[in-house]
Amino acid sequence: MSQYASLLIALPLFGAFFIPILKRISKSAVMPFLVLVTLIQTGIAAWVFNEVYITGKPIIIMAGGFRPPIGINLYIGHFAALFVLVIAVTSLLMTIFSFKAVSVEPKDKYAMLFLLLMLGATGMISTGDIFNLFVFMEITAISAYALTAYNKTGEASEAALKYIVLGGIGSSFFLVGVALIYGSLGTLNMAHIAQLAHLVNPTVAKAGLALLIFGLAVEAEQFPLNAWAPDAYQEAPHPVTAMFSAFVVKASLYAMGRVIYILSAVEGWSSILRLLIILGTLTVIIGEMSALRQNNVKRMFAYSSIAQVGLIAVGLALGTESGVSASVFHMFNHAIVKALMFLAVGYVAVELGGTEINKFEGLGKRMPVSAFAITVGAISIIGIPLFNVFWSKVQLILAALNAQYTWMVALILGASLVEATYYIRLIHTIWFKGEGEKVKESSVLALVMLLLVALIIVIGIYPEPFWNVMQKAGSDIFNVAQYIKNVPLMGVSP
Amino acid sequence: MVKRILAIVFILIIGFWMAKALDQVPFGQDRMLVGKYYLEHVKEETGAVNAVTAVVVNYRGFDTLGEVTVLFIASTGVAALLWRKKRKRTAKTEGSVVLTTGARLLLPFIMLFGVYIFIHGHLTPGGGFPGGATIATAFLFLYLAFTVYEVDHKIFEPLEGLAGVGYVTVGLIGLAIGGYFLFDWIWQTWGIGKENIGRLLSAGFIPIIYTLIGIKVGTELTGIVDNMIKEPEEGGQ
Amino acid sequence: MNPYYFASIALILIGLYAILAKRNVLKMLVGLSIMETGVNLLLISVGYVSGRSAPILSEGITPDRAVDPIPQALVLTAIVIGVATTAMALSVVINLYEKYKTLNVEEIRRLRG
Repeated sequence: MSQYASLLIALPLFGAFFIPILKRISKSAVMPFLVLVTLIQTGIAAWVFNEVYITGKPIIIMAGGFRPPIGINLYIGHFAALFVLVIAVTSLLMTIFSFKAVSVEPKDKYAMLFLLLMLGATGMISTGDIFNLFVFMEITAISAYALTAYNKTGEASEAALKYIVLGGIGSSFFLVGVALIYGSLGTLNMAHIAQLAHLVNPTVAKAGLALLIFGLAVEAEQFPLNAWAPDAYQEAPHPVTAMFSAFVVKASLYAMGRVIYILSAVEGWSSILRLLIILGTLTVIIGEMSALRQNNVKRMFAYSSIAQVGLIAVGLALGTESGVSASVFHMFNHAIVKALMFLAVGYVAVELGGTEINKFEGLGKRMPVSAFAITVGAISIIGIPLFNVFWSKVQLILAALNAQYTWMVALILGASLVEATYYIRLIHTIWFKGEGEKVKESSVLALVMLLLVALIIVIGIYPEPFWNVMQKAGSDIFNVAQYIKNVPLMGVSP
Repeated sequence: MVKRILAIVFILIIGFWMAKALDQVPFGQDRMLVGKYYLEHVKEETGAVNAVTAVVVNYRGFDTLGEVTVLFIASTGVAALLWRKKRKRTAKTEGSVVLTTGARLLLPFIMLFGVYIFIHGHLTPGGGFPGGATIATAFLFLYLAFTVYEVDHKIFEPLEGLAGVGYVTVGLIGLAIGGYFLFDWIWQTWGIGKENIGRLLSAGFIPIIYTLIGIKVGTELTGIVDNMIKEPEEGGQ
Repeated sequence: MNPYYFASIALILIGLYAILAKRNVLKMLVGLSIMETGVNLLLISVGYVSGRSAPILSEGITPDRAVDPIPQALVLTAIVIGVATTAMALSVVINLYEKYKTLNVEEIRRLRG
């Protein structure tokens, strides 16, 4: 029965391949079909989540019936089950938003690329094979390139070109890393690599791991390979921006965490952690500083998103279980908040025709629900108590203190301070500046936004159950011995 | 100038580390682990003589499904980005007599060769991707030779989708019959062609999947060529 | 150093240099393709075993006389992915040229900050 979880991969693929046929029958059926597919995907993801968290055992999908490491396996553990659900739900909400936000033709192509972006992220999170990870990463990346350039303006093409060039370098680096690790171990399965990690030559392992991290850093938006991100966020269609921030970057961060921890038995492993800490810290500082001087709200949110992603990377690189769990919590919270904020900003842009800051003057009177959503999101991301991000920031600080990185407390608090500066400026503009006529807001989108706002506040007030889930998800990444035990490896040994 | 020097310094650092790491991976030594298992069991487990094909389609089937998807994304993405209300071909010179005659004459043979490559994927080097690419060259030939030639999108796009749906369906049938997605039910459950190893009718679902992939790759690459060769009409933006 | 490794590293670095230093977008994309070729050559050379032949087990090739089939399967996938990336990049460049009328990266700079 558990093998039916492979529908998570099969269904979006089937949907995407079916759209050209559906288009011949009826063109107007494409967008409703997209909603249907994401809805079913959400159902399957919810079933998988329930299954994994009730039994406490991961679902191992073996493609072709071959046991790992002979065949490729998908590993849907506590982390993957949680984030597959996040991906499916976010996609569902964004398909609803797409009805309003996407007016550029050809919409059938948009629907296919949308489904494949969702598929790519789902695959990245659930795969248990390092080369298969590369394939899913490329599915995500190439559909993201196409969606970034989808509006066909000069700026969108420029952003996509930057993204493609950096993505191309990243994927080449990743493959060289795979070649090095394969060359010294003769296997590609992650659990098998973890099992044999102590046999790798330390130089090869360190160089390979560094290359893998640089390869993933493009999608994970780590400095210095994140130059594409603000441009792409600004120019991509609004639902796609929300998807980038909510789960595409999270999938890459997870992949980073996974490859780092499966090689934790390697000699000199902590130098790789230090590398990632440096990258993450620079990402936070540069992201926050750039966000401070933006006049385009969507671009400002993009930089803010990059800074949060830097914090998550730092948490992953602490090398402790509590650090990883705190990172996972922050990923989850950030996904909700940024999905909400990009949804609201995108909706404002659709109604008022742009995301420059002067369009937001008097928004509190013109579009109260969207303004409220942006405000709640902003307050939450600053880290005010009673909102969800507060708890993950607290956990990150505690984890940093535990791991004896005292300066990191200053980093997190400083980042929050800078965030407070630019977000309060935005909130001030929204509520206390300018006047304007009221715009009628779509009730469906208002409902979606209020739903996300409610979720933010619920997590803010009752963090305990969520934190328990996150701890399980975090230990799923951190506890490599358990990971090896969970995968039914066949006895192929040197 | 500064940019170039920085670039050179940067690539030298990367080159040094790659060389240093590769030094620890001696060339030409037998370090096979999983690979050895494949070589030893490929015939009984998949019925394919070509081990690479068996790895691609059977053992690492997810990769291939992903690969097909990547190409599908490329063709969809190219079509989405180059989409305009009205587009047409703008070539002005008709191909020479040699080209037009050659295209007409060779077309069936190129197609036939493409089909040969993809249905013999489990026996010889080749398979769906090279076969599909060969078929696409036949169409490219037509585009080069005739200034007005255009493929029929009403047929090509659904065909492309149909081949993809077919691949996923084959995988799902495996899930229904054998309990695993992409399970080779023809070989492992039904055992068709067990006495035929090394001949055409063997290797379970490999020829079926490669036929689907061949059709898909052929139509996709042709679609990419078609999209890139056309230009928007005046006022058709 | 082994000539195959040397050639693949050289190709990767040449491609990287073209991406970093060239101003023409098309030349950068050529660099990207060269880099991918280098990576593919590297993968193939990692799987090579001296004195053995292609892993097609007919006509007297036994398992102990064939090279590792996995890197070859990986390269097949990597090539297709490279083609897809190049196709996407080229169509983006077509759009870019239509809007900016130039292929010089230093003139394609409307997004900054």
